[in-house]
Amino acid sequence: MNKETKTYKVLRYVFLIAACIFVIIPLIPLVFMAFKTGAEYSSTSVLTPPKYWLNLYNFAYAIKVGKLGKALMNTAIILGISISIQIMFTTMVSYVLHRFEFTGKKLIFSLFMMTMFIPIVTTQTIVFQIIYRMGLVNKMLSVILLYSGVGIVGIYVILNLLATIPKELDESALMDGASYYRIFRSIIFPLLKPGCTTLLIINGIGLYNDFYIPNLYLRKDVQTFTVALYKFFGNTATPFEIVAAAILLGIIPIGIVFLFLQKHIFYGLAGAVKS
Amino acid sequence: MKAKKLLAILTAVTVILSLASCVEPQTGTGGTTNDPGKTTQADPSSLKGTTIRVYTHGGNRVLGEEKKDEKGNTYRDVENTAFLKYLAEDFTKETGINVELNVVTNEDELRPLFQVKDDSVDVFTCPNWSLEEWKAFCEPYCTVDEGVELYGEYARAMPAVDGIVYSIMPGRAYNQAVVYNEEVIKAAGYDKIPATLDEFNKMCEAIKANGVTPISMHRVENWPLATVQDFAGYVAGNANVFAECLKTENPFSETAPFGKTIKIYTQWKANGFFEPEVYTDFGVAMDSVAYGRAAMMLFGSWVVPQIQGRVPDGKDPAIIKFAPAPDFGAGRFVLAAPADNWAICKFSKNKDAARLFIEYIANDAQFIADSGFIANKKGVTPIVPDLYSIIDDLVASGDCKVLLQPANDANSLANQEVLTEAGLWADYKYVGLLFDSLDVTKPDDWSAYNKQVEVQNNAYKKYKEELGLEWVD
Repeated sequence: MNKETKTYKVLRYVFLIAACIFVIIPLIPLVFMAFKTGAEYSSTSVLTPPKYWLNLYNFAYAIKVGKLGKALMNTAIILGISISIQIMFTTMVSYVLHRFEFTGKKLIFSLFMMTMFIPIVTTQTIVFQIIYRMGLVNKMLSVILLYSGVGIVGIYVILNLLATIPKELDESALMDGASYYRIFRSIIFPLLKPGCTTLLIINGIGLYNDFYIPNLYLRKDVQTFTVALYKFFGNTATPFEIVAAAILLGIIPIGIVFLFLQKHIFYGLAGAVKS
Repeated sequence: MKAKKLLAILTAVTVILSLASCVEPQTGTGGTTNDPGKTTQADPSSLKGTTIRVYTHGGNRVLGEEKKDEKGNTYRDVENTAFLKYLAEDFTKETGINVELNVVTNEDELRPLFQVKDDSVDVFTCPNWSLEEWKAFCEPYCTVDEGVELYGEYARAMPAVDGIVYSIMPGRAYNQAVVYNEEVIKAAGYDKIPATLDEFNKMCEAIKANGVTPISMHRVENWPLATVQDFAGYVAGNANVFAECLKTENPFSETAPFGKTIKIYTQWKANGFFEPEVYTDFGVAMDSVAYGRAAMMLFGSWVVPQIQGRVPDGKDPAIIKFAPAPDFGAGRFVLAAPADNWAICKFSKNKDAARLFIEYIANDAQFIADSGFIANKKGVTPIVPDLYSIIDDLVASGDCKVLLQPANDANSLANQEVLTEAGLWADYKYVGLLFDSLDVTKPDDWSAYNKQVEVQNNAYKKYKEELGLEWVD
C-alpha cells in the first residue's frame, strides 16, 4: 500500500512538473526577448538569454511609443465598469430564475442558452451597424455596453451557488418585513461573493484578452491594451522584442489581481465545480 | 410545448429582422458621386480650413522607418523617413487644408467603416480590395482613357471597373528582382548578379560554401510565393503568362512557364539555397540579408529600404542592392508596375479636398522617389531612386527588358476562377503545394513532386472543363 502510494505520489509530481514546464516554456523566450536589443533578437536563438538583463529600452519604448500606460488605464476602466454591471445583472437574473416561478421562465432561460450557440463574429455586422447608428463607435461606451451583457455561464455559476443557499433565509426575512430587493441586497448578494469572484476572474481575464471587439469598435484615442499591442505589428515586419516587453507589461496587472484574489479564485472555482 | 413554439417563432422573427437590416437600400447611398470624368480640381482657397482624414497602411511614411541604433535597439527614424507626414505639412501650408494622418495595418480595419458608409475616411491607400469593393467603397477617380492620357499605359493596371479608375497609382516600381548584400556576393567572388541561370546557381554554391544562406525566402508565410508567379513571366518573357495558363491543360508541367518556374525554385530548395532554419518573422528574414547571414531575397523594390534600414551600425546601407533576376532562358526582365494606391472614399464629405491632396502627391516626384517609386504622371519630371540604378543601367543598355504588369483582365480572372475551384488559388497553393512536396532531406527524390504536378494538372483540367472557361482573344 505504502509502495503504491509512493509510486502514485512520484507519478503525480512528474505529471505536475511536466504540466508546469509545458506552461512555463513559452514564457521563457518571451522574457528573454523582452530584454534583448533588436539586433540581438534577430541574431540569436529565442532560447538564448539576453546579453544584458538590465536593458529596459524595449519597455520604455513600448510605454512611450505604444502608449501602453493609457491603454492599460482604458482597459481597467472598461473592465471595471462592465464587469460590475455584468455581475450585478447576472446575480439578479439568476436570483429571479432560481427563486421565482413565473410564466415564460423556461423561455427566458432557453433564450439565454441560445446565445451560447451563436458565435459572436456572426452577429457583428448587425451589431456594428446598431452601435454605429447609436454614435458609439470610437467611444468607450460601445465596448462597455457589449461587455456588460449577462452570459449563460455566469448564470449557471450563480444558480449552482444559489441552490446551496436555503430558501428559508428568504422566507424568514420576508416574514420580518423585508422587500425582495432588500433580501437580495442584504442577504443573498453577500452570500454570492465566491460566485462573483469566479465571474470576475473568468470573465475578467476573457475580456482583458479580448482583441476582436475593441479592435472593431475602438480605433483612435481609446485603445485597450490588446489593440495597442497590435499596433506594433507592421505589414511585413514586427519588432518582436518590443512586443515581448509590452506583453510582459500586460501580464503585471493580471498577476497582481491573481495574487490578491488567489484564495477566492480557488474557492470560487472549486465551489462552482463541486456544485 | 407552448414555450417551444413561442421560442421557434421568436427565433424566426429575429432571423428575418436581422437579415432585413442587412439589405442595402437602393437609394441614398450616402455621399455624392462625382462625374467619373472629372479631373479638374477645385479652387483650394474655397477649401481653406477643411480637414481631411487620410488612412494609410504605409505606416513607415507617417511614423518613420524602423531602424536600429548603435546599440542595436529598434527605433523609428521620424526625422529622415516620415515622408508623408512632411508632405502633409507642406500641403497644409500651401492650401490651408488640414490633414489628419491615421495608420492602419490593413483593409480589415477600414472595411467595417465603409460597410456602414461612415464619412470619417476621406483618402486611403490600402490596395488589397476586390474589384467589387473598389467600386463600392471608392469615388470614381477618372476614366481609364483619361488615366492613360495622364499616366501612360501604367493606368491600365490601376484598379478599374467598367472603364472607370477607382484608385490612382502615381508612381511605378520595378518589381520582383534580386535584393542582395553586395559584401556577401563579393566574398563569394562575384561583384554583380550573374546574367545567366547557370552562373547564378554557381554563385549560390559559392555563397553556400562560405557558410552563408544564398537566398532567404521566408517560406514560413505564404505571401513570399507571389514572387514565383511573377518570375514565371520572366521565364516565358511574357507578362501575360498567368492568364495564359488558360491556353494549356497542364500549366504545372515543366514544359509550361509556371511549371518550369516552380521547378527552378524547387531545384534551388533541393540544392540547399534557401534558409535551413525557420525565421520567426519577416523582420528576422530581412535582418539575415542586412547582417550578411543570407545573400539575397527575391522580392519587389519595397523591401530594399527596409533592409537598408537594418544594416548594422558602421556599415554603409548602400551594400544592399537591387538587380534584375538572371536570364531563365528568354532573356533578362524586370516587371514594372504602377505603385502606391491612393483613393477617395465614396462616403467622404470632403471629396474635392481629398482629390487635391492626391493630385499634390502625384505631382511631387521627390515624395514618390522617397517612397521608392518613380513618378509616372506626364509633366512631372521623375526622380529615379538610387535603388533602381543597376536596373536602370541595364534597361538603358538593352541588357534587361521591361515587362509591363498586365491588367487584371477577363482571361486573368477566368484563370483565377479555375484555380479557386480547384482549391489551388488561396495562399498561392498552386505554388506552395508543389514547392513543399519536395523533402529537402531527400533532394534527389522527386517522386512526390512529380505526383503533385500530376494531381494539380488534373485538377486544373477538370475544373477548366467543368467551368467551361477558355482563353478569349
